[in-house]
Amino acid sequence: MHRACPSASGGAAADRHVAVEYSSDDEWAGHLVVFVRAGLGRGEQVQYFADATDPGLVTRTLADRGVDAASAVRRGQLVVTTADETYLAGARFDPDVMTGLWQEAVDAAAAQGFRGLRAIGEMSWGARRIAGAERLLEYELRIHHEVFERLPLTAWCFYDRRLLARDDLEVLAHAHLARWGTGAAPGGGPGLSAAPLTGAPGFRLAGSAGYEGRRVVASAAAALAASPAERVTLDLSVLDHLDIAALADIADAARRRPTGTPVRLVGAPPALHRMVELFPELGEGLEVDGR
Amino acid sequence: MTARIHGTPRPPAQDDVIFHHPALFYSTGEDYADGVGDFIRKQTADERPVLVAVPGERLTVLRDLVGDAHAGVTWVDMRQAGRNPGRILSMLQDFADRHADRRPAVVGEPIWVGRTSEEAREATRHEALINLAFAGRRATILCPYDTALPERVLTQAHRTHPVVGDPGGYRRSTRYADPHAVCHDCDTPLPEPADPVVLRFEEQDLADVRDAARDWAESAGLPRLRRTDWLLAVNEATGNSVRHGGGHGTLRLWRTAAAVVAEARDRGRLTDPLVGRRRPDPHSPAGGRGVWMMHQLCDLVEIRTPPSGLVVRLHVTLE
Repeated sequence: MHRACPSASGGAAADRHVAVEYSSDDEWAGHLVVFVRAGLGRGEQVQYFADATDPGLVTRTLADRGVDAASAVRRGQLVVTTADETYLAGARFDPDVMTGLWQEAVDAAAAQGFRGLRAIGEMSWGARRIAGAERLLEYELRIHHEVFERLPLTAWCFYDRRLLARDDLEVLAHAHLARWGTGAAPGGGPGLSAAPLTGAPGFRLAGSAGYEGRRVVASAAAALAASPAERVTLDLSVLDHLDIAALADIADAARRRPTGTPVRLVGAPPALHRMVELFPELGEGLEVDGR
Repeated sequence: MTARIHGTPRPPAQDDVIFHHPALFYSTGEDYADGVGDFIRKQTADERPVLVAVPGERLTVLRDLVGDAHAGVTWVDMRQAGRNPGRILSMLQDFADRHADRRPAVVGEPIWVGRTSEEAREATRHEALINLAFAGRRATILCPYDTALPERVLTQAHRTHPVVGDPGGYRRSTRYADPHAVCHDCDTPLPEPADPVVLRFEEQDLADVRDAARDWAESAGLPRLRRTDWLLAVNEATGNSVRHGGGHGTLRLWRTAAAVVAEARDRGRLTDPLVGRRRPDPHSPAGGRGVWMMHQLCDLVEIRTPPSGLVVRLHVTLE
């Protein structure tokens, strides 16, 4: 389930982690201004993590469109930096580290007297050869439960359609429960997508999980394995097909879970049941409900 | 060379050979009962674990003969377990692995009257591969052959069994052949289908190909449960084409009087004839699951390696 036009003023966790897609500088500027203006007005700290955009252009654009960015920067309410200087400054992008960084950032904003934290991150680095970039989808999947359901944080992930491959962008955008901006590209959604569940901790796979979808499955499996929740669900009720490699990935993830509790599979397609008949050991660590 | 114990023919004991793979030719129910029944009784008397995998009607005869008192006997209807000849060897190796320390014995009858020529050919390949898979293992596999089978089948049995026998006794097979040569001879050209559906694919097309194959199978009348099996097998075949067959391939679909058939054709090679004949570790990142699954899920799998690459045909009956 994706919300087409989420609130810019916070609310439920599902509305506070948003994929914002754009195809032009003007669209980018429009999203930027709406988000920053709302945050400044609410007394929140606003952080912008640039990647493809010059940081100076961010403040100039805000100023050009009537936002007193200079004053906000001076009082520490607006921070414009780059991903390379901050969370990509380490040896590799690591979702586990990111969870801790968000906690620190929220705490720091509160310590400075701000009423909350909101952030924009340009995600175009996901298309570059950055160590750990292959874990971006895992990260986007995990932070709904591990960050947004725990912290008073609003974050818009800026996806520039000019800088990311269409299929990659579609998969990454689907990992958000809210999307805003340019509609999905012609040709429909990805063949396989993964998204967090809105209720109980867990994830949903939608589409068809064959060899071509192995990276999506691997990311969802990694998110399952890392989930700190005692009980975690994988909803397969809108999955047409999955292959043995996908099932093995899910089963391996279940075995790696820190809590040791089984992963609940909901709406498993007939193919999964058949494969568990052939390989009963893959059913260990899984609680399988049929369709 | 003939050896007899208690008046019953049995394979010759050879101290330098630890794997025994005799064929027993029988013409009557009495021959069968004597030759196979006594083999089972002897093995159980020696406290060896025994797997009896024969057609159901023979199974009943043997169970009555041997009785259920022998807890060490595992009974399997070969018409079901060995419907696809390509899955039998995995079953035999599983059994042998579980009882490796007790010199397991097997009665395996992979070919019965009524098998199609295609099935019989793949069963002959299976018989040859037994000799490769079990080389050096301490085990005995007795294979009964009904002399009512076509002569070409009986001739191949002489090539795939180092020892052959009949009610008169056992002897070395003078026609025994290298298993690789037998497999090569089984690689007969596959007949061209009439008017198949043709789908060319690369990685980005795999999901669409699955959808198309599913829809086509439904329109062809394949029942839902078998459709699941068939689609899993087709998915493995097309996925293998992308991974190992040059990145792309061609899928052809057609229906015969009794089955639906999918053929994946690509530029891959298959150099190990035992691929897919042993149950893989499903957790193994090295894979090896695809061909084994195809054998388990389909009623017949035909694999050919023409100079152009690899051809895999997957048959699932419509019943």
